[in-house]
Amino acid sequence: MSSVELDQVTIRFGDFVAVDNCNLTIESGEFFSFLGPSGCGKTTILRAVSGFNDPTEGSVRIGGKDMRGIGPNNRPTALIFQNLALFPLMSVADNIAFGLEVRGIPYNERRRRAEELLNLIALPGQGDKMVSELSGGQRQRVAIARALAVEPEVLLLDEPLSALDLKLRQHMRTELRAIQQRVGITFIYITHDQGEALTMSDRIAVMSAGIVQQVGNGSEIYNNPATAFVASFVGENNAISGKVSRAEGNYAVLDTSFGPLRGINNRGLKEGDAAYLFIRPEVLRPAEEGASGDTTFETEAIKEEFEGSFLHVFLKSDNEDKPFKMALVNDANVTRRSPGTSVKVTFDPDRAVALPVGELADE
Amino acid sequence: MSSNQIRAWVVRGYILLFFLYLFGPLMIMSASAFNTSSYPTITPWEGTTLNWFVELGQNDRIVSGFINSLWIGAGVVALSVPTALAGAIMLMQVSEKVRPIYYTIVVSPVLVPGVIIGISTVIFWERFGSIVGLDYETTNNPFFLTIVGQSTFISAYCMLVFIARLQRFDQTQEEAALDLGATHVQVFWKVLIPFLRPAILSSVVLAFLTSFENYNTTVFTMVARGTLTTELAGLARFGVNPSISALAVVIMGFTLIGAVIYEIKKRREEAIVEASKKRAAMKRMKDTEAAAQQAAAAA
Repeated sequence: MSSVELDQVTIRFGDFVAVDNCNLTIESGEFFSFLGPSGCGKTTILRAVSGFNDPTEGSVRIGGKDMRGIGPNNRPTALIFQNLALFPLMSVADNIAFGLEVRGIPYNERRRRAEELLNLIALPGQGDKMVSELSGGQRQRVAIARALAVEPEVLLLDEPLSALDLKLRQHMRTELRAIQQRVGITFIYITHDQGEALTMSDRIAVMSAGIVQQVGNGSEIYNNPATAFVASFVGENNAISGKVSRAEGNYAVLDTSFGPLRGINNRGLKEGDAAYLFIRPEVLRPAEEGASGDTTFETEAIKEEFEGSFLHVFLKSDNEDKPFKMALVNDANVTRRSPGTSVKVTFDPDRAVALPVGELADE
Repeated sequence: MSSNQIRAWVVRGYILLFFLYLFGPLMIMSASAFNTSSYPTITPWEGTTLNWFVELGQNDRIVSGFINSLWIGAGVVALSVPTALAGAIMLMQVSEKVRPIYYTIVVSPVLVPGVIIGISTVIFWERFGSIVGLDYETTNNPFFLTIVGQSTFISAYCMLVFIARLQRFDQTQEEAALDLGATHVQVFWKVLIPFLRPAILSSVVLAFLTSFENYNTTVFTMVARGTLTTELAGLARFGVNPSISALAVVIMGFTLIGAVIYEIKKRREEAIVEASKKRAAMKRMKDTEAAAQQAAAAA
């Protein structure tokens, strides 16, 4: 088992910077995800780890060993491709045993190992089928078995679930996590689906435009986003733009079009800085009669969507295209509002995050 | 007669004419092989005989030309198919900018008249031999010249077959194989070649048949020797006898047998694929049913 270190990795294609100075260490046995929109450089990182392209600058180390110049066939990694890339002319067992075949392992031994792996992926006795006879989820599992057959120290997964339908995808999430815990090797998972990243991973690196924005576990990333991009990309968030009027202790007070509003200041914002205040829909709630101060503001209801357990209230924001969203638990106290009524809302300043102005994720 | 009926008869008549045009000469020629008349004809029918087949077997020039054609066909296959495969793989790997130029160059022999290829092959190897100092017999060997000359354009044909197949190749399979530890040589033999198998078979057939029936290039490169086609052309100059028709019957017979075998094989393979698909569909149905039953039982 090996850790994977990315040391000042920069990858350029011509003038285009696909990955910009990426530094991180993935621990041995960890389920680590790279999360980001398409084109953010996450697949490029994966290909640099698997050996299909070497970084322009910096180095990739696996188990402490610099991998520069070592081809994909000589690295202790196995990659699961987005389209799976199973060999259509081979049987399921031959697919799984391919990595053993090219290592010159005798037929009977390969066959035995393939049968073991078929048991692991819950497809016992199906080795003689052709790949075309399997369903999407079964092919998925065959691809995993084929990669595990070579006993890699690091398994790399390039959005392997994106071709499956929603139900199967959710099922495969659980299954992947279970397989990872059973085999205990390092998994590096690439996805643009935050649900996948949050449910499966030990840690997540959120990427945008070639830059790693934040590395942390699911709740750190959700509760304490480090940049405006992370705050807006992971989960739903309301962004209010403003200027810091006061920075005191852990808090910053922003001057916004809704008056002064307060939130946590982890990024050392100073007076006069342009900033966003991010408040999650579930943090917003209706204010008491007569409430005031820098954790309360007044706006107008646009519409409501009733979802059973939640009532989503859309409120007029400082950006016409993106109204604020307030999620209220459907309990006895919840009241319905008609569009156009003015609403006073409040929030817990410890759960509102003030961050420097930066790129926001588009929906 | 209604206008619909007239139309139907016109169509039938047209189809009859079409097939007469296509197969009429072949039918008359085949029939003439069995007529005792010393000129290939079916009128008047002087008597039925198989003698022309016997005479065909006794004609040394035709027999040796036929054997030469087989050897040359085999040589052309052995040279053209690997060359074509290499050329097609190269095309997939050169950069986008160079690709159109490269394609034009490697495909151009198809557009050059066979006569020119024939003459230039003879001249080139003669000069090349004398410059390098090889003896005349080596560089002017008719078999060598014919195989090399024909291969210049036949390999281009075969390359087109390979390109068509390679364009459907999923490159990630190559990457997957590499990633699983295969060397580049193993990727070639275990992933690429199995994928290209149908294209290899068709280009072998294409190369052999094209070589077998070639005249334009061969008539120059065979120098004093002859292949079946050049010998036949020579015979035709001195007036033909029905042993040529007998030869046509033999060749058509082989072609038909080959086509029928191919078709039977293809249908059998399709049937196997169909059956496996059906089996998979049945299995899936059963699975969903079982799942539904389980769900019902759980409820």
